[in-house]
Amino acid sequence: MQPEADASSGPRISWLDPSAWDILVLSTVIKVLLFPAYRSTDFEVHRNWLAITHSLPISQWYYDTTSEWTLDYPPFFAYFEKILSIPASLIDPRIVDLNNLNYDSWSVIIFQRSTVIVTELVLGAVLLKFIRSAVDPSTQRIISASLFLHPGFLIIDHIHFQYNGFMFGILLWSILMARNGNKLASGILFAVLLNFKHIYMYLAPAYFIYLLRSFCLSPSGQLEIKNFLALANAVIAVFVASLAPFALMGQIQQLLSRLFPFTRGLNHAYWAPNAWALVTAADRVLLRYAKNTGSEVPINLAGVASTSRGLVGDTVFAVLPNIMPLHTFTITIALQSIVLIKLWFHPSYKSFLTALTLCGYSSYLFGWHVHEKAVLLILVPLSLLAAERHAYFRTFVIATVAGVFSLFPLLFTPTESVIEVVYSIVWFALLYIPLSKRVYEFPKSLSYVILDVLEKIYLGGFVLLQLFVVSFPILISWYSKRKGIADCIPSEEVVCPDSPGGQTMEFLPLMVTSVYCAIGMVWGFMRLMYIYLNEDTTYQGQLSTI
Amino acid sequence: MGRRWIRWSHKRGMRTSLIGLTFLACAFLKLCLGLGSYSGENIPPVYGDYEAQRHWMEITAHLPINQWYTYDLQYWGLDYPPLTAYVSWICGIAAYFINPTWVALDSSRGIETTTSKLFMRTTVIVFDAVTYVPALFLFSRTWFSTRSKRTQDLAFLLLMLQPALFLVDFGHFQYNSVMLGLAIMTLNCFATGHDLLGAVFFVLSLGFKQMALYYAPAIGSYLVAKCVLLGPKDGGKLFIRLGLTTVATFILLFLPWIPPFASSPSAILDPVSRIFPFARGLFEDKVANFWCASNVVIKWRKWATQALLLKASATLTLLGFLPSVAVMGKAAWDMKTWGSPAGPGTTMKAPETKDSSGSDDKQSPTSSHTPILPLLPYALLNSSMSFFLFSFQVHEKTILLPLMPLTLLFSGATPDSAVFLWGALGCNVAVFSMWPLIQKDGLSLQYFVVILLWNRLIGHNPFKIIYTIFSAKTFVHLLSAGVYAAILFLHLLEPMITPPARYPDLFPVLNVLVSTPVFVSLWLWSIKSCVQVSWAITGPSGLSVESNEHKKYSSERPRTISKSDRTRTVSLGYTQGKRAKRSSTLSAAGSSSALPSFASVFRDNSNSGVVDERGPRL
Repeated sequence: MQPEADASSGPRISWLDPSAWDILVLSTVIKVLLFPAYRSTDFEVHRNWLAITHSLPISQWYYDTTSEWTLDYPPFFAYFEKILSIPASLIDPRIVDLNNLNYDSWSVIIFQRSTVIVTELVLGAVLLKFIRSAVDPSTQRIISASLFLHPGFLIIDHIHFQYNGFMFGILLWSILMARNGNKLASGILFAVLLNFKHIYMYLAPAYFIYLLRSFCLSPSGQLEIKNFLALANAVIAVFVASLAPFALMGQIQQLLSRLFPFTRGLNHAYWAPNAWALVTAADRVLLRYAKNTGSEVPINLAGVASTSRGLVGDTVFAVLPNIMPLHTFTITIALQSIVLIKLWFHPSYKSFLTALTLCGYSSYLFGWHVHEKAVLLILVPLSLLAAERHAYFRTFVIATVAGVFSLFPLLFTPTESVIEVVYSIVWFALLYIPLSKRVYEFPKSLSYVILDVLEKIYLGGFVLLQLFVVSFPILISWYSKRKGIADCIPSEEVVCPDSPGGQTMEFLPLMVTSVYCAIGMVWGFMRLMYIYLNEDTTYQGQLSTI
Repeated sequence: MGRRWIRWSHKRGMRTSLIGLTFLACAFLKLCLGLGSYSGENIPPVYGDYEAQRHWMEITAHLPINQWYTYDLQYWGLDYPPLTAYVSWICGIAAYFINPTWVALDSSRGIETTTSKLFMRTTVIVFDAVTYVPALFLFSRTWFSTRSKRTQDLAFLLLMLQPALFLVDFGHFQYNSVMLGLAIMTLNCFATGHDLLGAVFFVLSLGFKQMALYYAPAIGSYLVAKCVLLGPKDGGKLFIRLGLTTVATFILLFLPWIPPFASSPSAILDPVSRIFPFARGLFEDKVANFWCASNVVIKWRKWATQALLLKASATLTLLGFLPSVAVMGKAAWDMKTWGSPAGPGTTMKAPETKDSSGSDDKQSPTSSHTPILPLLPYALLNSSMSFFLFSFQVHEKTILLPLMPLTLLFSGATPDSAVFLWGALGCNVAVFSMWPLIQKDGLSLQYFVVILLWNRLIGHNPFKIIYTIFSAKTFVHLLSAGVYAAILFLHLLEPMITPPARYPDLFPVLNVLVSTPVFVSLWLWSIKSCVQVSWAITGPSGLSVESNEHKKYSSERPRTISKSDRTRTVSLGYTQGKRAKRSSTLSAAGSSSALPSFASVFRDNSNSGVVDERGPRL
C-alpha cells in the first residue's frame, strides 16, 4: 500500500539478507524523519555548489564568488555535484539558480537530503561485503551495522548536512580491497577518495608506506617493478582525470589556494577535542593563576584579548609560547613516523588498519585548525578493530564515547540536541552489550584493575558532563536573575543585554566539553599507540589471520 | 523484523535492558516524528489541535476553575473532561515556570517558537511515558504471562510502535495515549482480578477523554457478567462495591464543579454541556463510518431531521454492540456454578472460590482469573467499532479506539494466523483512513515512512498479499489483497490527477469508500470471534472432549497453576502453527488458561456438529 515499501518486497534478492533489509529500512526511516531537522550552513554550501557546477562553465568553478560559500573541495567532488545537479534541475530549476541564495523550499530539502541517503548506500554495500568474507561474520555484522547507523553520520550527514557516508564508503571499500589482497584497487580507490575530499590526506602516509612495502616491494625487499609501475600509473591517472582540466586552464594555483586556506587559526571556533584544546585550556588556567597571584610571568597581551573573546577567532596564547603551523606539522609527522616504521616491518592487514587509525589520530590530535567532524577519520577505521581484543575494544569505547560526545555541540537547537543524545545512547548500548561480552578478558594484574576502574569513572563522567551542559544555561539565568544582573527574562522575543562576564560564561559548557573529551581522545591515542607498538600477546585476534 | 530483533537481543544477553532500550528507541522515533509539522501549524487565526491543547494549558494555568469551561468558548473552548483539564493545568504551570511567554493569557495565542514546540512535544512524550508505556508493559506481562519472554517483549515492541497512534499523537498532536493507556490499565487490573482498581482506571480514562465511552458497554457488561458468575451473594457484593467506587471516582473528578466547591448546583452543567455537544451534526469531515459512506448514495441530512438521525444512530450503535454484550452475558450465565452444584468444568472451581475474595483489592494475587476474560478484548473491539461506525459526531481520529483492542489481540498473534492478518489489515487501513488529515497536517512523508517501518516491523508485506491474491484461501486474505490494491492505486492516482471542480472531495470520499468496508468487516469479525471464544470457554462440545483430554493433562495442570505464584491469565491470539496441538488440548480442557486458536475452536466445534455459518472460515 505504500510506494516506499518497494524496498522490502519485490522478488527475493539473494544478496541482501533479511537483517540487512531491517537495518536499511530502519535507518532510512530515521533519516527521512530527520528531513525537517535543523540544517547547518553546509546545506546551503552544497546547494550553492550544485548551482555553480550546473550554471557555470568548468573554467569558473574555482573562481566564482557569488556566494560566500565558494567551492573548496577537490575536483571529483565538483564533478559529483555536477552529476547531482542534473536531476536537481529537472526537479526544481530554482535549486541550481546561482543567485537564488539560501533557497530552502521543500523541493530542495527533500532532494538534497535524499541524495545523502542514496549515496550513503555505497557505505552500506561495502559494509555488507565486509561481513561476507569476515573471519567472524556475526561480530562483523554488529560492527557493520553499527558503522552504518553511526551517530556521527547521523549528526554530521543527516542533520548537519554533509556527504561523509558516501566518502567513508569509498574509504572502507579501499580498506576492504586491502583486506582481500587487491592492493592495486585499494590504492586506486584511495586516490579517488583523495580527489573527493582532501581531508583524507591525514591517512595518506599509512597508505603510502603500506602499499610501498607490501605491494611494490617483495617480502625480501626487492622492488616489484611491475606492481610499482601499475600502482604509480593508476594513481597518476586518477589525479590526471581529476586535475587535468584545471591544469590545462592553468588554474592549479587557484585550486590549491581554495583547498588549503592557511589563514585560519590553530583551533576551530569550537575547539576540537585534541591536544591543542588541552594546551589552550591550560593557558587559560595559567593566565587566571598568574593574574590572581600576581607572579612575574611574561603575559602576551594579545593572548589576554584572545581569551576574552571566548572561543571565536584565532587563538593566541597569553602565557604559553604560541604554536605555529610548523610546530603542529613537526609533531604530527614525528608521531606518524613512529607508527610508520612499525608498519614498514609488519605490513600485515591488521597492522595497516591500526597504523591507518593512528595516522588519522595523530593528525587529529596535533593538526592545525582541526575540525571536530574529522573525528570520524579515527572512529571509522577503529570500529573495524573493535572486536579484536579487549584492549582494542576498550580503546574503541573511550574514543567513540569521547568522539561522539564532542560532536554534540555541532547541533545547538534544542530538539536536535535531545535527539542526538537519545540516539547515541541507544546506539551505544546496542553495540556495547554484545561486543563487551565477546571480547571480555580477565584482568591480568592489579594495575589493569585500577586502570579499568579509572576508565570506567571517566566514562561515567560523561553523564555528569551532559547534565552540566544541560543545566548550566538554566543555572546561569537563575543566578543572574537573583543577582539582578539581568532583569529581563531571556526568551525568543526579548534579547537580554549581555551581563558582564556572561559572554565567557556562555562558552564554558563548550570549553568543558571540549577539554573533557580531549582527555579521552588523548588517552585513547596513547592506549592505541601502546597496543600497536607492544603487540606481544600470543592471541592476536581474528584479523591477524589475514 | 521485530521477531528477528527480539531473538537477536535475547541471544546477545540483552534480556534485561531490552525493555528500556525499546522505550528509548521509541522515544527517539517519537522525537524525530515531532520534528515535523503539527495540526494547524502556521495557519492563523484558528490553527489546530496543537493550539487547542496549548490554549487549554494557558487558560487552566491562569484562570480559576469555574471559568475553565466558560472562558471565550469561540476560541478553542475546553471541551474535554476534567482530567484533561487537570493535566493541562500541570503542563501550564510547568510551562509558566520555564518560560511564561509560552502560556501568557490571550497574548500567547498561536505562539509557534521552536522551544515552545519542543515543550509541547515533550509533554506528550512524558505523559505517554507515564501512562501508556507502563500500561503496555504490564499488559505484556499479565495477559501473556503464560507465554515466553520473547513473545512478551515482542508484544511490547509492537504495541509501542502502533502506527496510527504514533502519527496522531506525535505528529498531528494529541494526548490519546493517555486515555488509551488508562483503558489498558483497566484491562490489566481485570486480568489480575483487581476489579475495583480497574473501574477506577476506566473512570479516569473516561475523565480524560469522553471518547472512552466507546468501551463502556464492553467494560460494563464484563463487570456485570462477572457479578453474575459469582452468584447472588458474592456477585451482589462486588456489584455494590463497583458501583460505589465508580460513582466516588466520578465525584472526585468533578469535585470543583459540585456545590460545596462551586457556587451554584448548575455549575456542573458547564463541563457536561461542553463534553457532549449534541448540537453538532451527524458527522463533520469525511470519516470512514457508516453514515458518511452511505451518504454518498443517500443524503441523510436532506432526508431526515437532526433529532431522527440522532435516534437512528443511537439505535444502530446499540444494535451494533449488543451481540458482544449478549454473548458475554450468556457465557457468564452458562458458566455460573452457584445455581447447579456440578459446574461444567472442574477447573471452574478455582476461579469461583477465589474470585469471591479476589474482588478485594488487597488480596494477594494468587488466583483471580475469570473465565470470561478472553472475551473482553473482542467485546471491546465490537463495542468501540460499533460506536465508530454508527454513532454521532465521529472523527477520523476516533479509529484509534477500536484499533487499541485490535492491536492488543494482534500483538500476541503468530504471523499467518487470522488474528494477525486482521490486525495488520486493521492498522494499515486505519492509518490510510487518516490520510486526508495527515496530508493536511503536512506529514505525508512521515505517513509513508511510519507505515513502511510498521509493516517491516511486523513482517507483513502488503505487496505479497496482493501478489498472492489468486491463491488466497481465506476471506481476510482476499479482502486484504483487494483493499491494499485499492489503497496503492489511490496513492498512485492522487498525485497524477487533480479532482474535477465538481467533486473537490473526490479522494477523501474514495478513501472513505475503501476504508469503511474494512471497518464493517472488522466489526462483523469481532462479533464472530466473540461467539467463537464464548464457545471455546463455555465449551458446548468441551465436555466430551474434555473427558478424553483432561485425563492426560489433569495431572500436570494443577501443578503448574500452583507453581506459578502469579495470576494465571489468558493469552491473546494464541494460535495455530506449531503449537496448534497444544492449544487444541488447552481449549478442549475447557476454560483452563489459554485462549484457544481459531483452528482448534473449529475443530472442536465440528467434532460436535456445531458449524459456524455466520461468516467465511478464517
